[in-house]
Amino acid sequence: MITYDAIVIGSGITGGWAAKELTEKGLQTLVIERGRNVEHRKDYITEHKPSWEFPLRNARLAVGTQGAEEYPIQARTGQFHESVKHFFMKDHRNPYVEDTPFTWIQGDQVGGKSLIWGRQVYRWSDLDFEANLRDGHGVDWPIRYADVAPWYSYVERFIGVSGEKLGLPQLPDGEFQPPMELNAGEKFVKAGLERAFPDRRLTIGRVAILTQALNGRLPCHYCGPCERGCSTGSYFSSQASTLPAARATGRLTIVPDSVVHSLIYDAAKNRVTGVRVVDTTTKQTREYSGRLVFMCASTLGTARVLLNSKSPSFPNGLANSSGVLGRYLMDHHFRVGASGVIEGLLDHYYQGNRPNGIYVARFRNLGDEASRRSDYVRGFGYQGGASRQGWARGAGEPGFGVELKRKLHDPGRWSMGMTGFGECLPRVDNYVELADQTDEFGIPVLRIHCTWGDNELAMRKDMAASAAEMLEAAGVKDVRTNDANRQGRLGAEPGLGIHEMGTARMGRDPKTSVLNAHNQAHDVPNLFVTDGACMASSSCVNPSITYMALTARACDYAVAESKRGNL
Amino acid sequence: MKHDSISRRRALQQVAILLGGAISAPTVAGVLSTATRRAWATAPTWAPRTLSPAQLELVATLAEHIIPQTETPGARAAGVHRFVDTLLTDHYPAAERDRFLAGLAGVDGSARSTHGKVFVQCAPEQRIALLTELDAQAYAPGSAADGWFFRRLKELTLVGYYTSEIGAMQELHVSPFGAYRGDIPYSSVGRAWA
Repeated sequence: MITYDAIVIGSGITGGWAAKELTEKGLQTLVIERGRNVEHRKDYITEHKPSWEFPLRNARLAVGTQGAEEYPIQARTGQFHESVKHFFMKDHRNPYVEDTPFTWIQGDQVGGKSLIWGRQVYRWSDLDFEANLRDGHGVDWPIRYADVAPWYSYVERFIGVSGEKLGLPQLPDGEFQPPMELNAGEKFVKAGLERAFPDRRLTIGRVAILTQALNGRLPCHYCGPCERGCSTGSYFSSQASTLPAARATGRLTIVPDSVVHSLIYDAAKNRVTGVRVVDTTTKQTREYSGRLVFMCASTLGTARVLLNSKSPSFPNGLANSSGVLGRYLMDHHFRVGASGVIEGLLDHYYQGNRPNGIYVARFRNLGDEASRRSDYVRGFGYQGGASRQGWARGAGEPGFGVELKRKLHDPGRWSMGMTGFGECLPRVDNYVELADQTDEFGIPVLRIHCTWGDNELAMRKDMAASAAEMLEAAGVKDVRTNDANRQGRLGAEPGLGIHEMGTARMGRDPKTSVLNAHNQAHDVPNLFVTDGACMASSSCVNPSITYMALTARACDYAVAESKRGNL
Repeated sequence: MKHDSISRRRALQQVAILLGGAISAPTVAGVLSTATRRAWATAPTWAPRTLSPAQLELVATLAEHIIPQTETPGARAAGVHRFVDTLLTDHYPAAERDRFLAGLAGVDGSARSTHGKVFVQCAPEQRIALLTELDAQAYAPGSAADGWFFRRLKELTLVGYYTSEIGAMQELHVSPFGAYRGDIPYSSVGRAWA
């Protein structure tokens, strides 16, 4: 049997990065992916397909409708449409038990969720890395912004990020391509908002979509729905970016259709020596051996594999001497904010489908007295945008016939909306564990227990109120707040943010954390976890670029340590 | 139903001729495979799978009243009735489909009690009067349950029309690929993007 220099589990955002970094550093690398193969370009079967070629006209496939039968969980997200359903997990292939409502959105293919992600990328700051230390929730991060900053730059230069520099300490600038443009409605709101609140900033989203060519990838052509796949490679995905780089080294092997059952641990050496997989087509078991293992299987995928890798040395899951494996699960809470209409600007319009919106940087609890809140800790940012109402408005108003058709020939009023994305505290009672049931591959399924706590609920009130306050101050009319959360029920339940993180957190103390400052398991030196499972707190910004930076950084460390003979 | 049934019959006759004329059109219809029928989805042989011919004609008539032909084609030409049948068959949960069909029956019920005939047989001004009433009821405060059918019919008509090639490319237009411009004069565009 071949012994690979490294085995990477998962081929999504972090798996692709690990594959690129490890192969470029000379390691023969095996990437194991549970889903089917998806080939760049060839398998983007709905790209540029006009609406009339979809039998259901690209309907949102809601829970309970025909077309969503195999996706009762995936259909909970508004992202689940006729045009992209083939990039989501058929839920019977990876069921789980919900102790409390938790929506686990999953990809099931080479590239993972990198094909369908939201592409928003924001650096963390020391406000985030010091948060646990400052307010005592969770354990202190073993790293600070200075440790990650060069890796953010390294990642940004490779993936391509367009955005505007703002000079804000809580939202550090990066290596940006020129920003996309705000539209007239957003410019109006920005002007009014920043006049009323000089310390707050509205900017175009920082997004992993090219506005200039990069490494053979072309700038965005503004067709709109990135999540169908992009033949010009204009947004970052494993297919467009990292996997081709890894493949170019000649040292990459990918095996799709192979779900990892567990890691093989050698107690005498205290090392992981290989991986046990189940072929999802034949249901046969196979083993691969490797000198180094990177867990990049998604937060909950990684937690599940480690929990299921039991041995006499680690009866409660591999590298779990601390007992915290599976605990401190987080997600961003969202679907709360405000919207309204902008009067006038009726001779202003836009052209092109910009796959990006606006961002309002965090302005609460920045460490100074002025921004301090007494009712909650941490903070939130807003995403949103302005647009002119389209033909769909006709369904909500009386009228039919020639008059209606004439009206819908023109766009309607401008509307503007903002949705908050809030930080979630790391709490011991938000956890996953193995359930008694197994899936069709014989692997125990996860039981998930996760709820929003008092801090998130208090923050949500401010997220709605502040959004309304800013929109009104900016001159937006008919402002209404919204909050989809129904505690204990579906609406804005944990998981729906698709920013699930934690369960194998980094920390300084092996007794209270799973990973050290280099994403290396405290207990098992040749085991690294670099997906969202590693997170010790959640910040309020979209997490993927931080996972990428931590992955590249961990690969650099792992290869150096390996050369020193320490792994 | 006229347009659909005549052209469907003609197409089946052509198939029968291709096969040597030895078998009748209804038999040919029976041997057309699912795949063939799908490939012919927009072809004249298209047949409804949930709506009866009379219901299909009712939907087409209602939709055409909501988005009529003007200098551009209307809902009937854009095939909104076919889209509605597809949604009812392949997307709607049974309860929602039944509720929609009951709404259709309700339209004919009103037409009968007011004018003594089904909706499609009413004179155009009688139909418009009925629709004006339905439309007013649907958007009146407190009409959530009673107005469901007409609001849904209007929604399906708009979706079916503006996502069709006719609606998106002739009545409105699809934003060209290439660049994003965030602030241009509307007068330079003149139509909403589909």
